[in-house]
Amino acid sequence: ATDNSKLLKYRCSGCIAVGKSLNSRNFSKLLHSCSYQCDRHKVIMETEDRYKSELRKSLICNKKVLLTPRRRKRLNTES
Amino acid sequence: MFQGQRAWFCRSVSGELQQFWVTEGGRISVPGAADFLFSCDASHPDTLRIYQSLDYIEDNATVFHAYYLSAVANAKIKNSVALGHFLLPPACLQEEIRGKIGNFIWEQDQHFLIEEHNEV
Ligand SMILES: [Zn+2]
Repeated sequence: ATDNSKLLKYRCSGCIAVGKSLNSRNFSKLLHSCSYQCDRHKVIMETEDRYKSELRKSLICNKKVLLTPRRRKRLNTES
Repeated sequence: MFQGQRAWFCRSVSGELQQFWVTEGGRISVPGAADFLFSCDASHPDTLRIYQSLDYIEDNATVFHAYYLSAVANAKIKNSVALGHFLLPPACLQEEIRGKIGNFIWEQDQHFLIEEHNEV
């Protein structure tokens, strides 16, 4: 690819946005709301999104695992 | 350039880059209160803690490579550097992403990096 087409490929709101408005708190939302992500940002975002949903699931699982045996143990010692 | 902004730095970020942030008017804070989260190593325990936080899972905490700051330091027009090029995804995802889109931009633009960051 020529330099020009490379540049065009890099231009989505995640690429163009500069200055004070962007930070760690709003970047992800900006990228998600952008309807024409470049290849680069699209791939990163999709991979992270998949990872986040796995984390979310394991977080819910962990809570259950952590809560249930502990409670059970306490019941056992009490009885 | 960073007046009124707060940043958190992973201990993987050199003192030099943190100093640049402060010189440009930025303040350093705890992760929960920071506008910016900077790291040079996605697998550093400090940064791992961010990736495991609820903020991260809920899309409220994007980690950026601190080379953004050296890019700003070296840019002719300081606020012309796109922060979005310095996304730092979790280490366990980087290989997969690299396979699809090649090196990260913070891996490609090594020429402007401060000498301290020689690969170990
Ligand atoms: Zn983009």
